[in-house]
Amino acid sequence: MEKIIEIFKKGIEDSNIDRQKICLVTDIPYPPEVTEYLGIDLFHTSRGRAIPFATGMKLSNTSLKPVVFIGDFATLGGNHFVHAGRRNMDLNVICVNRYNYKKIAEKEVPVSFPRIPFLPYATFDEPLNIPHLARSCGGVYVARWTLLHTDELSKSIAESLSKTGFSLIDVISHDPEVLDFYYKNSEERPGEDTLEVKITADKKIIVGKFIDRERPTFIDAYNEQLSKALGDKFIRLE
Amino acid sequence: MKANPSDVFTGTYYIDGDVAAAYGALAAGCKFLGGYPITPSTEAAEAFAKKAPYVGAQFIQMEDELGSIASVLGASWAGRKAMTITSGPGYSLMMENIGLGAAMEIPFVIINIQRGGPSTGVPTRTGQADIMQSRWGSNGDYEIIALAPDSPQESFEFTIKAFNLAERYRVPVMFMADECVGHMTEKVVIPEASQIEIEPRRFYTGEKEEYLPYKRDKDLVPPLVKAGDGYNIYITGLSHDEKGHPVLDSKTLPDITKTKATNKKSTNQYLVDKIRKNKKDIIELEEHNLEEAEVVIVSYGITSRVAYRAFEQAQKQGIKVGMLRLVTVWPFPDEKITELAQRVKGFVVPEINYGQIVFEVDRCSQGKANTILVPHGGASVHNPQDILGAIKMIVSDNKKYDKVIEYTTGLEKEIFKGSLTSMINK
Repeated sequence: MEKIIEIFKKGIEDSNIDRQKICLVTDIPYPPEVTEYLGIDLFHTSRGRAIPFATGMKLSNTSLKPVVFIGDFATLGGNHFVHAGRRNMDLNVICVNRYNYKKIAEKEVPVSFPRIPFLPYATFDEPLNIPHLARSCGGVYVARWTLLHTDELSKSIAESLSKTGFSLIDVISHDPEVLDFYYKNSEERPGEDTLEVKITADKKIIVGKFIDRERPTFIDAYNEQLSKALGDKFIRLE
Repeated sequence: MKANPSDVFTGTYYIDGDVAAAYGALAAGCKFLGGYPITPSTEAAEAFAKKAPYVGAQFIQMEDELGSIASVLGASWAGRKAMTITSGPGYSLMMENIGLGAAMEIPFVIINIQRGGPSTGVPTRTGQADIMQSRWGSNGDYEIIALAPDSPQESFEFTIKAFNLAERYRVPVMFMADECVGHMTEKVVIPEASQIEIEPRRFYTGEKEEYLPYKRDKDLVPPLVKAGDGYNIYITGLSHDEKGHPVLDSKTLPDITKTKATNKKSTNQYLVDKIRKNKKDIIELEEHNLEEAEVVIVSYGITSRVAYRAFEQAQKQGIKVGMLRLVTVWPFPDEKITELAQRVKGFVVPEINYGQIVFEVDRCSQGKANTILVPHGGASVHNPQDILGAIKMIVSDNKKYDKVIEYTTGLEKEIFKGSLTSMINK
């Protein structure tokens, strides 16, 4: 947890974004010290509802830059993820992904049992290909790194913060001993088709920046449509 | 503070309660509506969406009600007055985040145009069966305020009232109208902005470094800041102290008033205290002929309008009847009912459900007066004759019952046959 915050901090510093306008919206509690450390506002909302909470914030004050931390294959609130992507809502979603697969590249994952008591026999569930989901929904920036790709990850965070629109960074995260395993069994393939980046038992974890494109955001579309309908008789959202 | 003239669509209209509520919200300065259309509340969202672009307000059709309510919470923290509009099934989906809103002390309004229920129920017809849900729907201890309008004109006025209360006490306010009020078309007069009193958001004005998100003013309500204004706030749904930092200590949670560790106080008790201790300022009642009354009708929402007919008829027949209308249903006027119970024979509580507020009335009457429920299954309103029948029953029966009596048509006639007691005891 400390590690991702540390990398996030570096990403903010490298992004030239007004730090004050960044609001961290999460659905799990990060320690209060995090806010002081990062120097930003932090909102710990209910489980799975961080994305719509951030959507409300963005529309209420468009100068804000909400960053949403979600977890574990976006299971809770997956529908919000889909629709924020579709709208190209200007949010930066960072999926801190711990719900990982039992085998990577034909090797058993050294899962530390006591840390995930509800998965005592490792995961057999099919994982969700989140980068592909983000791309299909219309995200403008999609990347994946393990938590040990420190420099690449902070660079991606900085890049996505500088972009306008829906971005996703899938961060493969776990306990230190497992992380090392993930790092060693990952393969960087920038620009890879997101269809090919699903985490599976027989392949290495594909990391890299997959998508970097432009699309009108919800706010752009709103202003455009309303000026078509009402000319200059409405108050623009900006 | 007066309303902003550009937000007020002054004029005389012939509109329904849904539309009037939307105009009321705009007049109150509401600038964000996150919603998902659901009958019978859709017209309110439509009317808001139509006018919103002209006044710099935003309507967004969210993906579902879970998203709607979450977006409202976010929008309110970012500085705008915000609300959502829904009905039964959508309202159920919102419950978790109503608790979050109460815990974070976010001012917002939920317009619930009630339908008959449970579940999908009767989407196009009326009901009053969400009234307990509005009070107890989310987990844990918290207080909310609920208002119940009975006409389109009140729809307009009470929405403004709802926003004022929400901002005043940093609390979720439930606007508990029903399909009848929502779809009833009547004359609605929207006054000039200069005649509309608006409670502005209570922003913090002190030194930035000294700001604590949950440090309370004398009235137990903490002032607000906006997200992104550089206060580095930490806001959570976990039980928290003045700083907003989580307090998960069993010693400080149950009774914070007795602990000396000032910065480790949990806000849990304040969540209920700020409403309970300000009850006198919040509660609004409409009273008719209570001084002389022998029997009192207690009602709210559309039913109070139907009950007024029964009240008039009973008066014509020489019965000493009074009427107490709950304009604010929550917080409940315990003291008023207790005081009345000392001197009246009984209460008649008509509601479009099978018994919700009636048990509050019975609780507050503390065994001093009989309480009769006039239930209704929904999809339409009461027949005033049934309410009148219940009134007559109280007047003509001198027996004291130890439980709430459920009125069914013609039950009052049983009194004279002497079989009432056996019927009730069935």
